[in-house]
Amino acid sequence: MAEKKFHHALYPDTTIILALFRDVENAKEVRQAVMSGKFDASLLKASMIVDEFLVTVAANKAVHSQRCGKMITKTVHSEILYNLSAGRKITEAFKKIGISDTDTSVLVAIAGEEEKVLQSLQALKSVIKGRQVSLDELSSLADLSAVRKEYKLTDVELSSCSPVGAIASRIAAKDIITV
Amino acid sequence: MQRTFFKQGAEAKLERCTFYGKPCLVKERFRKQYRHAVLDKSLTTQRIKSEVRAMLRCRTNGIKTPTIFMVDMETNSIYMEYVEPSITVREFIADVQQNQAGDCPLLALAEQIGQIIGKAHQSNIIHGDLTTSNMLLAQKFQGDAQSTEKFTPADILQKNIQDLEVVLIDFGLTALEGTPEDKGVDLYVLERALLSTHPNTDHVFEAILMSYKKNNPRGAAEVVKKLDEVRLRGRKRTMVG
Repeated sequence: MAEKKFHHALYPDTTIILALFRDVENAKEVRQAVMSGKFDASLLKASMIVDEFLVTVAANKAVHSQRCGKMITKTVHSEILYNLSAGRKITEAFKKIGISDTDTSVLVAIAGEEEKVLQSLQALKSVIKGRQVSLDELSSLADLSAVRKEYKLTDVELSSCSPVGAIASRIAAKDIITV
Repeated sequence: MQRTFFKQGAEAKLERCTFYGKPCLVKERFRKQYRHAVLDKSLTTQRIKSEVRAMLRCRTNGIKTPTIFMVDMETNSIYMEYVEPSITVREFIADVQQNQAGDCPLLALAEQIGQIIGKAHQSNIIHGDLTTSNMLLAQKFQGDAQSTEKFTPADILQKNIQDLEVVLIDFGLTALEGTPEDKGVDLYVLERALLSTHPNTDHVFEAILMSYKKNNPRGAAEVVKKLDEVRLRGRKRTMVG
């Protein structure tokens, strides 16, 4: 099984699943299926995600915001996407971190009750035309210069820490400070 | 999430756990029973925010601080990276002195500390609680070529100081504004902390100050002047009239 499944750190009854797909031919259809409510998932542009840990941090935070009633966006899945973006604009977040019709690599994050999450994953797998690969391939897909631009990472900052650490801190502190 | 007790201070309690596989430290500010509930909540929220802000500001200025994993305003907790393996600068100095390893490692350490404080002050970050316990020594960040070898805190003492890096922690008292007065007091706190925990380290503080001047060329002269003033009167300003 190439996808990763784990429980939320604070709410063990919530499951989070991450899966990576490459050579996707029908990004447009998949996106429309999600938008029409066929199944729930965050569809993320794999080239903008340096490490799966970042999605974990974003999903962890999204579920927590949902439980506290403090979500910025309407659903957990759009909240994951929003958390991963550097800015405060939701449309910008979808443009930059969400998949576009021409993307061929898609990182999928699904959060919720275990049964529902697995159902969504099955539904997604039946729609998506691509091959599922290990999440370890994520680092080779990343477009580091686009990532640096999005999160405004400077050489000074990267001299003392990895991009993963820098971005994770930004995601976690997003509602407190926008760099 | 299994949490184990780690440390407890006056304002917060520290617990260790793992956060999706990474070593994690939870700093939970607890409720002060003697304070009015509304005031308590507002102060706590304010302090968590300023702590997180300071940690991020340090990072963007190239000062290593623990990565933040999550900020939970409901339970007033900050989830952050547990820097591992690491020892405190306090332990390091004590070890060097005990083994009579000479001044070389201490002066190299002073150079690094001065550099960090210089950078922080140049970016108007006043740590507010600079003690040797609030600085960690961890393996130096080497970019993508990060070695995966596992070693224990004890191994760190065997390492060359050049391969180690100072990580600043505990931003609970940090202020993000910068008058020379505040910066002078910041250095004074460090001087007192250093000299009172470690005997015969006057020359180490001198070395820190030298390095500080190099790394904060714009403001250092004024700050050092203030430091001399503060030394005479103590940390608190005399409020007369």
